[in-house]
Amino acid sequence: MEALLSIENLTKQYKGVVALNNVSFEVSDGITGILGENGAGKSTAIKIVLGLLEPTSGSAKILGQTASENINIRSRLGYMPEHDCLPSNVTAAEFLTHMAELSGLPPSHARSRAADTLRHAGLFEERYRAMGGYSTGMKQRVKLAQALVHDPAIVLLDEPTAGLDPAGREEMLDLVRKTHKEFGISILFSSHLMADVERTCDRIIVLREGRVIQSGEVKSFTEETETVYIEVDTNKEQFVAALRQRDVEVTEDTGGVFVEGSDESVYDLVRDALVEAEAPLRRMGPRRRALTELFERDGDDFSDASSGVGS
Amino acid sequence: MTAPQDATATNGGQTREGTVFDIGYQHYDGPREGRNRSRYAVYKDGLKISLGIGRGAKAKVLPWMFIGVLMLIGAGMAMAAITIDRLAGDGTAESVGLPTHSDFYGIASIIMFIFAAISAPELLCPDRRDGVINLYLVRPLTGTDYIAARWAAFMTIMLMVAWLPQVILMAGLTLGASEPAEYLKDNWQDIPKFLGAGAALATYSGTIAMLVAGFTTRRAYASVFMVGLFTVSTPFTFGLAQELGGTAGQWLSMFNLSNIPMHVNDAIFNATSGVTMDAPAAEFDTWVLVSWFFLWTLLPATILWVRYRRLAP
Repeated sequence: MEALLSIENLTKQYKGVVALNNVSFEVSDGITGILGENGAGKSTAIKIVLGLLEPTSGSAKILGQTASENINIRSRLGYMPEHDCLPSNVTAAEFLTHMAELSGLPPSHARSRAADTLRHAGLFEERYRAMGGYSTGMKQRVKLAQALVHDPAIVLLDEPTAGLDPAGREEMLDLVRKTHKEFGISILFSSHLMADVERTCDRIIVLREGRVIQSGEVKSFTEETETVYIEVDTNKEQFVAALRQRDVEVTEDTGGVFVEGSDESVYDLVRDALVEAEAPLRRMGPRRRALTELFERDGDDFSDASSGVGS
Repeated sequence: MTAPQDATATNGGQTREGTVFDIGYQHYDGPREGRNRSRYAVYKDGLKISLGIGRGAKAKVLPWMFIGVLMLIGAGMAMAAITIDRLAGDGTAESVGLPTHSDFYGIASIIMFIFAAISAPELLCPDRRDGVINLYLVRPLTGTDYIAARWAAFMTIMLMVAWLPQVILMAGLTLGASEPAEYLKDNWQDIPKFLGAGAALATYSGTIAMLVAGFTTRRAYASVFMVGLFTVSTPFTFGLAQELGGTAGQWLSMFNLSNIPMHVNDAIFNATSGVTMDAPAAEFDTWVLVSWFFLWTLLPATILWVRYRRLAP
């Protein structure tokens, strides 16, 4: 698969501070998450990709070209910034039309693309209202819509769920997934929230202090573990005791129990323990590892950033 | 394609049934016109902002009020000249020294300065305050493209504001003359003169106003600073220049910001307007005054360009 974005040995130094240190990675079709704490170098990498910053060394090519050398390539890129970027006294329809024209579309095409994009972003009914009266969730949708209005080949999203409540965050993540699955637009999704990246992305690149510390398919990080998760309706304590009598390694959780087992013999032991404890089985299955847990285990704890997010 | 939805429409008593299909997301395969389209979009947006087009009524009030006042001055001057000529005979208005093309900018310059002070911040400040500039600069557009397009849009408006009243004045004087063709034949030279003098005033005041606006995100601060700059520099330099006298006084008088484009107006019309009549700087050679004007126009333009050239989100 050809890389849409290719970063090779990229280094960016500001006066005495190394923002990116010999970073290399590629982004191909799909949703790629770029994960890291604030200051990890995510935004610097995006700015270099967009041609807004010159690297100290190395190269960043998007769609096979360097944006700082060929500015017209930006007409095929979309960018959703983290911070506010919407004028309050303009309607969403007018704003998106203007953004489409800024990306090189003729006015008549820009108008129809603006209406279509707002419909896909769920703002069709609100398109003639000044954006100053929009909720945070609606503003985030307009920010995403302006990045899509010119039908880019790849869109770069910088913290798209920033400032959203749980419901708004879920809607935004759905829209991001829809952008790739239904619209066929590839996405580079920058976030410091592991749960968002895990639930949305196909691949992940983890940056820390300007270096890539992990990269690969999200599912390879969250593959099934050898742990079995079991929930029972009643007699949980008796069930745990019965398991321990059979020398099964058990960890209790508020909802159920985790049982470690490398082969299928553990299922026979669980069955016997359930019968002995007379505990009705509600749920049983292999457990997937969460990204959050993975990085905690490796000593790379982003948990402060992802606290409060169900995983 | 998602499932079709049945729909019913009524037209002239006849009910027609149809099916609405959501054809889903469609990729764009139309023309992409690149950087020039982007530049033009910024320019067009600048024109609309300056005139309040596509904005609420509040945004339209101030620009159109100033444009209206300037038109009225032009029309009023024409009416006065026509009336006097009609009552006292052809040429009376000129002989009694009624203000005409060479005097118009002396009368109107203060209104144009205030118009520039109010309009220029509208073009630059909200884009930076709201962060919209971040969206411009990630499109096929550089900081130079952005500021050049905004400047060009503002110059278009400033030129319109400067020239239209003069055109009204010329049209009024021509149509009001007993021999319009004869009048035009004798006075056509005023047209390139007022175009030149108007361009000088528009470029100078517009560029300085944009420079001031380029350094703040608050429109009110930019407007107040610009008006203050012009208001303070006139009495300050005039009074001190009179005190000092000699060459020092003349040079100090050159810092009267309101007079800088008016010296060019005087040079173009080969006349002295009311506002420069007592200015010690008027005694300098024309080339000094014109060079001074270019310095005060090109330097702010350069500073503005340098500021926006490397602007990044």
